[in-house]
Amino acid sequence: MIWKRYQNELIVVLALLLLIIALVYKNVQVSSSTESLALSKQEVREFKELVILKKRWLDKRTSKKLDKLQKLVPSSKLKWQKKGKKLTAGFHGLSSQELNKVITMILNLAVQIQMLEIRNDHGSYNVEFKCKW
Amino acid sequence: MSFLGNSKPLLLVYRNMPKQSLSDTVNIMLTPQFYSLKKETLPLKYAFQVKKIAPSLFDGLLENTEKYDYLVYREGEVWVFIAYNLKAINHFLVSKGIRSEQVGKIFFAQQALDKFTAPVLLGDKDALAAIDGSVVLIPQAALEEGSETLTFDERFTPKHGVVLQGAFNSFLSKKQAIALATIFTLFALAFFLEGRRYSEGSEVTKAEIEALLEEYPALQSQYTRKSIAEKYRAIDKNERKKRDRVKTLGNMIFKGVTVDTFKMDDKGFLVRFKCTDAKVAKHLKELSKKEGFSSVKTLTGNIVQIEGKL
Repeated sequence: MIWKRYQNELIVVLALLLLIIALVYKNVQVSSSTESLALSKQEVREFKELVILKKRWLDKRTSKKLDKLQKLVPSSKLKWQKKGKKLTAGFHGLSSQELNKVITMILNLAVQIQMLEIRNDHGSYNVEFKCKW
Repeated sequence: MSFLGNSKPLLLVYRNMPKQSLSDTVNIMLTPQFYSLKKETLPLKYAFQVKKIAPSLFDGLLENTEKYDYLVYREGEVWVFIAYNLKAINHFLVSKGIRSEQVGKIFFAQQALDKFTAPVLLGDKDALAAIDGSVVLIPQAALEEGSETLTFDERFTPKHGVVLQGAFNSFLSKKQAIALATIFTLFALAFFLEGRRYSEGSEVTKAEIEALLEEYPALQSQYTRKSIAEKYRAIDKNERKKRDRVKTLGNMIFKGVTVDTFKMDDKGFLVRFKCTDAKVAKHLKELSKKEGFSSVKTLTGNIVQIEGKL
């Protein structure tokens, strides 16, 4: 019956115990959710990055986009050989403006540059370009 | 064990009672020697309202130095007020060998008014009897000889009683305990809610992942995702490097500098810039070093060669 003598203290102790349990619960939730939240966020970030990578490097329109390179220079200056997902192109006698256009376009295409060669031949430029996608 | 407290033995407590030796908890009923009684007809409906005016009713009747508590209840149309001093009661009980932890509930004889159909004898001299709607103490000598008396037992136990708190032995009063317990409970509730909010927060991100998986079913397998990511991250990194190099080299062309040859493949690059004179070549060389190219050479004919790996 000692509890009865100290029932007021007992009430306070029980409430305090409840407070401690709640505090522990909150801390556990905070640490576990922070951890899982960070993991989940990383997963979401990686997933989104993957989607972007896939869109960029597995773009089905890349082949058509590459074809636009042919329109930048007259056909007399161009050698074009496209097989499947590989391209070998030769540009000859380009002016510096034409060279800039060709190089800018090549750099903006989502293709893997296997070889890019530029030669200055008495003021005009020859370009050899190999790529795959 | 009953939590109602009414199944416990009921002990009648009066001033000249013998010293007790209790082994179990008891409820006690106090004689009018331990409380002051007042009856009033008031136009109030609820006990909590009536209880508020109780101290003013006993103003001047009770000792100001002592702290009194009040029990209020209705008897028909009349409100009954009982003022009692718990400290004094407890002190008396202790003097009679009754510790506060042995006391279940405290009742007042007035509460069992209807049970006092005949007097109850208290020791050799006194008796407890109901007179004019009040339970009072009378001398036994005042009783008619051979008149009927009642035996006091649990039948006298009223429905509601007062709890003798551990206030006299405890460090905290009931009010303090309730206040502290309320504060702690409120904080506990806040912590529980906060914890719950955190657990729900991570569920939002999980839902986002599920939505992405639904949108791209081909990427549902973690293995597929990993292999695609590894492959295309490497491609992305290498191709970005190639384009960065070309752009950096392109930005290094200024007046007096032209590209002589440039070659780039998967492994690296080699570029030769033709400069108009040695001064331009020197400036280009400095610029290339500034851009972080380490393998820079000046060849004959003011040609600057830069080589690098990818």
